[in-house]
Amino acid sequence: MDSDEDLLDAYDGDSAEDYYYSGGDSDVDDYIAGGDEDEDDGGDCGYASDDDSTLRSEKVYTVLKVSDIQQRQEESISHVSSVLSISRVAACVLLCHYKWNVSQLHDEWFADEEKVRRTVGLLSRPVVQFPNAKELTCGICFESHPLDQIHSAVCGHPYCTTCWKGYITTSINDGPGCLLLRCPDPSCRASVGQDMILKLASDEDKEKYSRYFVRSYIEDKKKTKWCPAPGCENAVEFELGSNIYDVTCLCSHGFCWNCTEEAHRPVDCGTVSKWILKNSAESENMNWILANSKPCPKCKRPIEKNQGCMHMTCTPPCKFEFCWLCLGAWSDHGERTGGFYACNRYEAAKQEGLYDEAERRREMAKNSLERYTHYYERWASNQTSRQKAIADLHQMQTVHLEKLSDKLKEPESQLKFVIEAWQQIIECRRVLKWTYAYGYYLPEHEHAKKQLFEYLQGEAEAGLERLHQCAEKELLVFLGDDEPQADFKTFRPKLAGLTRVTRSYFENLVRALENGLSDVNTQPACSTSISSKNADGAGKGKGGKGKGSTSRSGRNAARDGDDDDHWNCDRCTYANPDSVSSCQMCHNER
Amino acid sequence: MANSNLPRRIIKETQRLLSEPAPGISASPSEENMRYFNVMILGPSQSPYEGGVFKLELFLPEEYPMAAPKVRFLTKIYHPNIDKLGRICLDILKDKWSPALQIRTVLLSIQALLSAPNPDDPLSENIAKHWKTNEAEAVETGELTAFLLALRHKKFPSSHSSLLFANFYS
Repeated sequence: MDSDEDLLDAYDGDSAEDYYYSGGDSDVDDYIAGGDEDEDDGGDCGYASDDDSTLRSEKVYTVLKVSDIQQRQEESISHVSSVLSISRVAACVLLCHYKWNVSQLHDEWFADEEKVRRTVGLLSRPVVQFPNAKELTCGICFESHPLDQIHSAVCGHPYCTTCWKGYITTSINDGPGCLLLRCPDPSCRASVGQDMILKLASDEDKEKYSRYFVRSYIEDKKKTKWCPAPGCENAVEFELGSNIYDVTCLCSHGFCWNCTEEAHRPVDCGTVSKWILKNSAESENMNWILANSKPCPKCKRPIEKNQGCMHMTCTPPCKFEFCWLCLGAWSDHGERTGGFYACNRYEAAKQEGLYDEAERRREMAKNSLERYTHYYERWASNQTSRQKAIADLHQMQTVHLEKLSDKLKEPESQLKFVIEAWQQIIECRRVLKWTYAYGYYLPEHEHAKKQLFEYLQGEAEAGLERLHQCAEKELLVFLGDDEPQADFKTFRPKLAGLTRVTRSYFENLVRALENGLSDVNTQPACSTSISSKNADGAGKGKGGKGKGSTSRSGRNAARDGDDDDHWNCDRCTYANPDSVSSCQMCHNER
Repeated sequence: MANSNLPRRIIKETQRLLSEPAPGISASPSEENMRYFNVMILGPSQSPYEGGVFKLELFLPEEYPMAAPKVRFLTKIYHPNIDKLGRICLDILKDKWSPALQIRTVLLSIQALLSAPNPDDPLSENIAKHWKTNEAEAVETGELTAFLLALRHKKFPSSHSSLLFANFYS
């Protein structure tokens, strides 16, 4: 937790004393990490403020700390108690019952106060009274007690202090139901108020009780959820209706508000759960077994062949000796079948098509396993890389930044571009990781989409590698003991530029993938979301640092350059003769 | 001995159960363990179980009365809310337990459950279905178990019973 707060502190502090002239978006929104205040170092490398930031700064969610939740509860309680002219304790009971929905509570209360009171158990007067008694019998332990040891809820049913304590402890340890505690008398509906519980419960139970109380505010409502990060106690309130569910908690954990898995744009929640299930499922083991083993013809246990010869002997107790190729008994092999090591029975059978079915299934399983492994490995290695980057960022913030600032005699606030680069790397690794799940589920037959996807993904990989390399390796030089200070003046715009280029590329990538790569199907829309943006960037002159932008602006130019006797394909830029109406390379319509 | 530090409440309840038993119910603590009760409930009149005598066991756990007593039928019974092992589906034995309830009230509730089976909240799926689709037949089966029990308790002249036995088991 400490490190996370550091991260955010560093963030907030930096933007406050911003060294570079600001692009106008200085109102800091802590809740959208990296969204806003990193657009301002344009002075050095000639970028204008990026319009993307406005898209990301629309705040659709709020992170609530425990203190925020308590404050909101406090407000609701005060509000209800003053509007309905009831005690705060009664207001708590009502709010717990109405799941903190103040307006519904108001409606029903003013429609039929008696009914609400009855269902919730807010009695107006006692059911039983003992005006002249000096001693009363507790309804639980059946002992007589002096009045000062007898307590009761509004209803007046008398129970002794010890039994009340036992009753309250049991109910608190039974779970959040203790918030709606009623009088022990089975026929009585009177609610037991918070004042009584807090008076009689032990300190430990009181703490549990107030935790349940806070939890009820988040868990009873539809638009609030807890941050799923381990140890994090914040909650996130989400404005229902927005369809971008990625949220970032103050603890820096980014997650999807909809499915509470880690943030996974551009992939949708359904694909993520499929992918996660697939990663953990036994089915892949089965595929492997199917692809790499054959069952022993006698005992049917799967056998993997790991040594050269075809003469197999199953492990005891089976000990069956057979031929790996034809799965026939080894005793049948010999001179008459063409010798031990040339099992022509197999060839003959294959020609007859006897083994086709089993063989084909094995082949298919092997292919699909290889395909899955391909995507999974890349998904997993981006995940590992991201973890490493998170650790590196932490290291940078806690150790290196200070060192660097000492060495270069520059305030840390001026070095925030390094932190931003690392934050961008972390975000990009996340996106890239999920593009592999995206790719795995991209339909096999949509060749054009697949090609475009793989091209975009490849560019993204390359761009990110360049940024990562620059932030990791080239920065090392400045952390060493020598004095390469002159270089730092060129390093700064380089890293800042790469960060910016990579960010906008990834933002476009996410958007394109979320649109299901719709560019592929409709020609007028072609390259609007991706190319035009980058072409724009390239048009601003000095922005040609990212490979992504240069290559695509080139493509754009190609589209315009249709000559007399040929036309250039929009998608693959191939120069086709005028006589054909679809591209000879990628079959894209003209 | 476990019995030496028995809460006053349990002692009082036991005394009252023995001195003024509820009609149709008897409960007496075991000699070795005062928290363990042998219970007999008579099948309520005008119920399928009329004439039957049902044995149950009741145990008061350490947390009693904050936790509910544990009750189980020892006699087999054909009832939608009671399963083959004699476990009972009754709200006050679970989430609706209140320390203000007692052994007596629990046993009275069980007796009432015999009078009014609740097939909507079944423990035994089959019996409940039977009860819902063909109550008359289910009641008959219930009557049958009660009748057999009654036989065991020798409430009928033996000549009569052997004849009926022959009918049921043929």
